[in-house]
Amino acid sequence: MSKILIVDDDPDIQEACRLVLEKEGFQVGCASNRAEGLRAVADVKPDLLILDVMMEEPDDGLTMARELRRQGFTEPIIMLTSVNAAMGLTIDRDDEMVPVDKFQSKPVEPATLVAQVNELLGL
Amino acid sequence: MLKIPESTTRDDIVAIVERHGADRTSLIPILQDVKTAEHEISDEAMQIVADLLGIHPVEVYSVATFYAFLHGATEGRYVVRLCGTLSCDFAGKTAVAEALRSALGIDFGATTDDGVFTLEWASCVGMCDQGPALLVNDRVFTRVTPEKVAEIVAQYRGKAADDARQDIVTARNELTYASIAAGAGLKAALALPRGDIVDTVSGAALKGRGGAGFPTGMKWNFCAAEKSEHKYIICNADEGEPGTFKDRVILRDFADLVFEGMTIGGRAIGASMGIVYLRAEYAYLRAHLNDVIHQRREAGLLGANIGGIEGFDFDIVVARGAGAYVCGEETALIESLEGFRGEPRNRPPFPAVAGFLNHPTVVNNVETLASVACIFAKGTDWFKGFGTDKSTGYKLFSISGDCEKPGVYEFPWGITIADLLKEVGGGGAKAVQIGGASGVCVPARDFARRLAFEDIPTGGSVMVIGPQRDLLDVAENFLEFFVEESCGQCTPCRLGNAQLLDGVELLKSGACSAAHLADLKALGATMQVAAKCGLGQTSPSAFLSIVGAFADDVTTRPQRA
Ligand SMILES: Cc1cc2nc3c(=O)[nH]c(=O)nc-3n(C[C@H](O)[C@H](O)[C@H](O)COP(=O)(O)O)c2cc1C
Ligand code: SF4
Repeated sequence: MSKILIVDDDPDIQEACRLVLEKEGFQVGCASNRAEGLRAVADVKPDLLILDVMMEEPDDGLTMARELRRQGFTEPIIMLTSVNAAMGLTIDRDDEMVPVDKFQSKPVEPATLVAQVNELLGL
Repeated sequence: MLKIPESTTRDDIVAIVERHGADRTSLIPILQDVKTAEHEISDEAMQIVADLLGIHPVEVYSVATFYAFLHGATEGRYVVRLCGTLSCDFAGKTAVAEALRSALGIDFGATTDDGVFTLEWASCVGMCDQGPALLVNDRVFTRVTPEKVAEIVAQYRGKAADDARQDIVTARNELTYASIAAGAGLKAALALPRGDIVDTVSGAALKGRGGAGFPTGMKWNFCAAEKSEHKYIICNADEGEPGTFKDRVILRDFADLVFEGMTIGGRAIGASMGIVYLRAEYAYLRAHLNDVIHQRREAGLLGANIGGIEGFDFDIVVARGAGAYVCGEETALIESLEGFRGEPRNRPPFPAVAGFLNHPTVVNNVETLASVACIFAKGTDWFKGFGTDKSTGYKLFSISGDCEKPGVYEFPWGITIADLLKEVGGGGAKAVQIGGASGVCVPARDFARRLAFEDIPTGGSVMVIGPQRDLLDVAENFLEFFVEESCGQCTPCRLGNAQLLDGVELLKSGACSAAHLADLKALGATMQVAAKCGLGQTSPSAFLSIVGAFADDVTTRPQRA
């Protein structure tokens, strides 16, 4: 059973993603900020990460994605965020600055999220 | 079709436009050159420029009349601008003004009949530690006395050329910048992937030194993540905040560190062009900055494939401001660089998304950029060894007013006002104005407070106010400044500052009722939330802090007959 970690400061998003993904049979863990998220990645060793951007700092998710890649975390990351709408940005994934596998703006349809997870996990 | 009158100056203007390029972004440099050549920007000249740039003459007029150093009217060969800032006031500006009036035989705003001199006020020329100060064209004179006025006037009457290169000695303590080996920071940064450069700056928790204290790493992070073919990094060297002159010292003595910081920033965000927006009052630094840029190009530190990194092309140009305090505000600065009036923009979009020419742009203060170079040279732990948890590193403070040793001083963030005053011989002060005209006035009973983002944040201006000073004069000086410098776009600022200034006059004459004062305080509070940009949001701060902290003094003036 694949383990998925959700790092998002919004408990509603955590809960919604958890419900959707648990229903699909995934084991789901949650963290609410960057520091907790980094610890959880080390402890849980998730097979996939769903990562928010705007947490304690508005750019936390960008910084955390790079930090994880620097630490050698190679599992897929879905960046699930409303940063573009909130800040008027046009960010997308890129190897240097946004090293994630999918960049998904909130809100996301449950089916889309599940499809992305399955695709990235090769299921 | 626009009808262009025949003119003897048309060829000159064509040559100027050709030199700068017939592009809207060249409008201000073009007008600056026209002004230098003609000592005026005539209606005819505006029409010719408009025609050559393919814009309406009213556009040219609206820009020319916005900037203090441009305005259309005929000026003398030498424009004498006496600094009106509080520190120059304390140092004896009024007597110098009188001496200038009598030596030139004209009042402020006028030109001598022979067309040699024009006399004007300047908002702040950034010589607050050595006032009274004045500019004659680009040249600055400090510690001017009434006696020295006669000498200066005689010197210009008999002289044709104006040597704009100048060395200005500023008192200081030991500055960390002096201990940083040139090139070390850039070398360390260029060895890192772009993302790591951003993360290093974030890791150092560097906050902007221009006043607002925005986290530098975050600004770079968003701009770096944006997708765009063109990006820009701008060094904000407008330093117009009254009582601030530390950027002048950094630009003069540590320009390499500033350019290193810009180059590192350029690499991080993916910019290939850096622009230094240098205030008009610092024109005498321009040749020096261009020399340093030239040397860096020769050394391969600017240009193509810097540091051997394929595709990392980056260069720096120096743009001249034209005498408008509001152009220090980053979106007004960008408007100015684009050839428009320096009117702040609405946000969002932020410059990191849509800045110069609508491309992602980072604007950073001179000192922020120099600090970036130090962080890469010495490491984030070293940097965080200075200051407090929330305000890491060290800061340059521009200290002026009633103290024995005014100058530029470096202290770690978190220093108390009392300790700072001890260092500069400011004992006996009854208040200090922290953060310039847009900052707050702190009474002596609060001198245990700290200069830090978590207590009293500041861009570094500290004006010491001695026991002999009248705080209503202080408020008046600042409000006159804001009335002059408001861009006029929004009502709270355009009318609010004038109302507050009226209120100060009423307080001075003992004619301000308690009810009216309450209204003025409410007005100030409204401006803080309703003004469009930082200028109008902060302009009531000094007034509000003075009528708050010194209520017993300012509300008890005897009524004047
Ligand atoms: C009226 C006004 C004037 C300003 N003047 C300056 C200035 O002269 N220099 C400066 O660096 N920032 C100035 N700022 C702040 C800039 O808008 C901007 O925040 C700053 O350049 C960002 O750089 P930093 O983050 O490195 O401090 C001014 C802001 C306002 C509202
Ligand atoms: S607050 Fe003042 S300077 Fe800023 S936009 Fe309004 S009028 Fe212009």
